[in-house]
Amino acid sequence: MPHQCVRCNTIYDDTAKEILKGCNCGGKLFFYIKKKRLEELKETTTKLTKKDKKQIEEDVLELVGKEKIDQDQPVILDFESIRILKPGQYELDLVHLFKKQPLVYKLEEGKYVIDLPVTFGQEKERIE
Amino acid sequence: MVNWLQRIINRLFRNFFKKKGHVKLGLYGPPNGGKTTLANRICKDWLGEEMGSVSNIAHETREIQIKEEIHIKSDGKELSFNLVDTPGIATKIDYEDFINAGMKETKAKKRAKEATKGVIDAIKWLDEMEVVIVVLDSTKNPYSQVNITMIGNLEARNIPVLVVANKVDLKKSNVKKLEAAFPQYEIVAISAKYGDNIDEFYKSLFKLAG
Repeated sequence: MPHQCVRCNTIYDDTAKEILKGCNCGGKLFFYIKKKRLEELKETTTKLTKKDKKQIEEDVLELVGKEKIDQDQPVILDFESIRILKPGQYELDLVHLFKKQPLVYKLEEGKYVIDLPVTFGQEKERIE
Repeated sequence: MVNWLQRIINRLFRNFFKKKGHVKLGLYGPPNGGKTTLANRICKDWLGEEMGSVSNIAHETREIQIKEEIHIKSDGKELSFNLVDTPGIATKIDYEDFINAGMKETKAKKRAKEATKGVIDAIKWLDEMEVVIVVLDSTKNPYSQVNITMIGNLEARNIPVLVVANKVDLKKSNVKKLEAAFPQYEIVAISAKYGDNIDEFYKSLFKLAG
């Protein structure tokens, strides 16, 4: 399954060195894509205006807490807990949320934000 | 193995606190089921003051609310707990629903965002809970994704649960359907708004947490 750079949308294969080092555009956040899912999402997200997308991004950063996101570390995401269809419309995957999996917010096609402290909290639990 | 041990430790820990009488009691459920109305009823009955505001528009409670040190008495026994009222759990939050309920767009979008955060917080807080009261609207279909996921998860976490069938004062109320949906639980039918059958509720609470 390929990985896509969040910033420039370039798609890399599983073994690509860019996934470990960072994309040529400087982006270090990738998401794992399932082709079938991508097609579905394309339809809803192409309808969003630039203003909508900006608003969604701001909303998500506020939901997660801006200070929590370390943009220097590559992060690979392979599922979603929360989908934002457009500003003010949210879909929550309760099964993921209840299972205490890391929180991932979908901004738009190819753009996700992950709640890192939740993820690291889980790692800690596992080690203990 | 680790999970099994963890569960035993959790249960011992929970029992220890139970004996001390400091149970953390959470109110959970879908939006507009009457969690805050019930919280207000409990607080008014035992503290003489209300806990939070209620509204006909869903997602009125968007932040965790805590009332500490509530002491209730029944049949000569006393139970002390901290009451935690949580935001309603939903799978979809749409600002357009709030607009349809008469809200302005900016306010509706803000409410949707806060409600989403509320769902995440409510789920995060589950770890802290020792007893959970699931408040369901008995006029609504109990077989919803929220109800099934939530109750299934509480079971998996071994948290003692009391299911409340609220709004029995309404004509459409169907407690039987709710009982059929969750046969493994004791279900108390009440009207949190008017206090119908509230003594029965306190008795069940004692049985579960006392």
